[in-house]
Amino acid sequence: MTTAAPPGRRTRKPVGRTFYWMVIPALVLFVLFHTVPVLQGFYYSLTDYPGYGSHEFIGLQNYANLFKDDRILDAYLFTFQFAIVATILTNVIALAIPMGLNAKIRFRTTLRGIFFIPNVLAILIVGYIFNYLFSNSLPVVAEALGIEALSTNILVNPDLAWLGIVIVATWQAVAFNIIIYLAGLQTIPGDVVEAATIDGAGRWRQFASITFPLIAPFFTINMVLSLKNFLQVFDHIIALTNGGPGTATTSVSVLIYTGGLEGGEYAYQTANAIVYFLVIVAVSVFQMRLLQRREMSA
Amino acid sequence: MTSDDRVPPGPGHRLPARRAAITGHAALLLTGVLLSGACGSQESAGSRVTLEFFQFKPEAIETFDRIIADFEAAHPGIDVVQNHSPTAESAIRARLVKDDVPDVISLNGNGVFGELASAGVFHDFSAAPAAKSVNPPIQRILDDLGVHRPGEINGLPFASNVSGVIYNKDLFRRHGVEPPATWTELVAAAKRFQAAGVTPFYLTLKDSWTALPAFNALAANLAPQDFFDAREAGRTSFASAYPQVVGKLSELFGYGQRDRFSRDYDDGNQAFAQGKAAMYLQGSFAIPAIDQFEPDFEIGTFALPATDDASATRLVSGVDVALTMPREPEHPKEAMAFIDYLMRPEVTRAYADEQRAVPPTEDAASQDPVLAGLMPYFSQGRLTGYADHHIPLTIQLDAHVQQFLIDGDRERLLRTLDDEWDKVAARRS
Repeated sequence: MTTAAPPGRRTRKPVGRTFYWMVIPALVLFVLFHTVPVLQGFYYSLTDYPGYGSHEFIGLQNYANLFKDDRILDAYLFTFQFAIVATILTNVIALAIPMGLNAKIRFRTTLRGIFFIPNVLAILIVGYIFNYLFSNSLPVVAEALGIEALSTNILVNPDLAWLGIVIVATWQAVAFNIIIYLAGLQTIPGDVVEAATIDGAGRWRQFASITFPLIAPFFTINMVLSLKNFLQVFDHIIALTNGGPGTATTSVSVLIYTGGLEGGEYAYQTANAIVYFLVIVAVSVFQMRLLQRREMSA
Repeated sequence: MTSDDRVPPGPGHRLPARRAAITGHAALLLTGVLLSGACGSQESAGSRVTLEFFQFKPEAIETFDRIIADFEAAHPGIDVVQNHSPTAESAIRARLVKDDVPDVISLNGNGVFGELASAGVFHDFSAAPAAKSVNPPIQRILDDLGVHRPGEINGLPFASNVSGVIYNKDLFRRHGVEPPATWTELVAAAKRFQAAGVTPFYLTLKDSWTALPAFNALAANLAPQDFFDAREAGRTSFASAYPQVVGKLSELFGYGQRDRFSRDYDDGNQAFAQGKAAMYLQGSFAIPAIDQFEPDFEIGTFALPATDDASATRLVSGVDVALTMPREPEHPKEAMAFIDYLMRPEVTRAYADEQRAVPPTEDAASQDPVLAGLMPYFSQGRLTGYADHHIPLTIQLDAHVQQFLIDGDRERLLRTLDDEWDKVAARRS
């Protein structure tokens, strides 16, 4: 590694200005399209606004009502259960595949391309295709194989529908995580692996002691991003079950949408959204701390 | 899979088929681009006024295109641009939030319409001449959903629908079954078909709202007339007034085909058109959709008999298409001229004939042979609105009814409805 020269006083000013020009437009756009609406939303969450017409200021009443609403608790339980299972599954699969893709196998570039495709496809379209498969194809296959449990559409079974969503969400999310892990694997210097091989470390030992610790920062990123994304699950559910059967697969985002925009309780669900935003921030920060500590100790 | 041909919900329907929504967006955007291109060039031509007509019924687009063409021919100064959205209710809310309200609006006369009307976003038509021609019981069904101030008329019924049982006349004849007039006869007919290997009812519970037409018919006839007022006042509960309604609902739905939870509304229209079931528990709005699949048998309708007293049966009818305009219209004169034109008896009649609906004018009944079985209820005034329009949307009645039809837990359904009702009431107070 070459050591960069410390930035001199002379070069600071012009460089600084350029950098500000790189940052400020994005900041302005962010504030305009993100921060302002969030603040606006926070204001509405303190009113009884149905989304149109007149409204009155009602203080924290919406927030108080949130805690009395078992529908919201149900949605939280479903969302967390779904998100945790999908995060673990996605990362296990996404760790295994790049190992193969990083090895010197035939058609490596082609395979890398193929494995990335799900990330490019729109979730809704993938969702509708899987919906068709679950409704029509899977039952036929299961019936032919004599598997009673799968011979009816799993999406209409309140106990199994969430698994359908996990399958689709994982299938789609793995692609992006593979790319991150693949990038991680390419940062591992070949000589380290070579040394380990010479020392007689087996494949598993190599993975546990060399590869995984070296890609730990990538693992952190993937875990945090997947959990955050899965906690916001929406499109998959709309395409697959629409929150049903009954309310079995109503995630927090779906509840915010149905209650707030279709149910006419805009302000109340905005309060729900604000609380959920804080929950996701807290979960992500906690997760990041935990995993970064592990990174360092590893 | 194509789902942009998904037929929109009828009035019993509460949650729009969001699937349609999303796949329809691309088409919608495209039309939007074409339309805006078109009106841009026209506006530059002179002092013409362009009205945006927000139209919620995909299967009526062509009908309205023809009506609009006739209107424009008679009013050279006005251009009407039809704009349709598969999720009209969410779309109109979004437009209201943005304060960008279309000049003329058609909406289904359901709970959402009532909520919007109560919020005071629609014009008051009580002084409009067009309102005079409407049959009072039909206007009342619309007004009962909610008005901004007592005595106001915030929408005009353009077409009514009826919700009963659609049946396959061929299968009925072949199995020697008469259209039932009592509950006992209905159950006997279902048993008879089942014994003969014919599916009595084709059920489409993948779309949860499709359980509601039957729910409404049973609720209208089995629950007390003043139930919702009493519920609001806390004098009654679903647990005490609705056990029979949901009990009979699950009994009826026991006579459906095996994959009833995997089939949706489109599947049902197609399957019924193919003669796969003797009866279909849907409103008249499903008939044009069934017709698209060209059934080779005659279709009939009868009112769902909920009790054994045939003379007490009341028919559920709703305003399928209500017309309205913004409270503060941008082009009041032109918008009103268009609404006046739409409300002309010959226009409502032509629309009703084409869309298998009932025109809203006093003397007119539908001359459609398919609806003939239901017309006596209109002439005798034995009509009632949709019960589910009185249950706040946020309760998600359809989802809970769907859940109940899966698990059969009647107590849980009624308890949930009562709990949700109380929570919503507490939030709104």
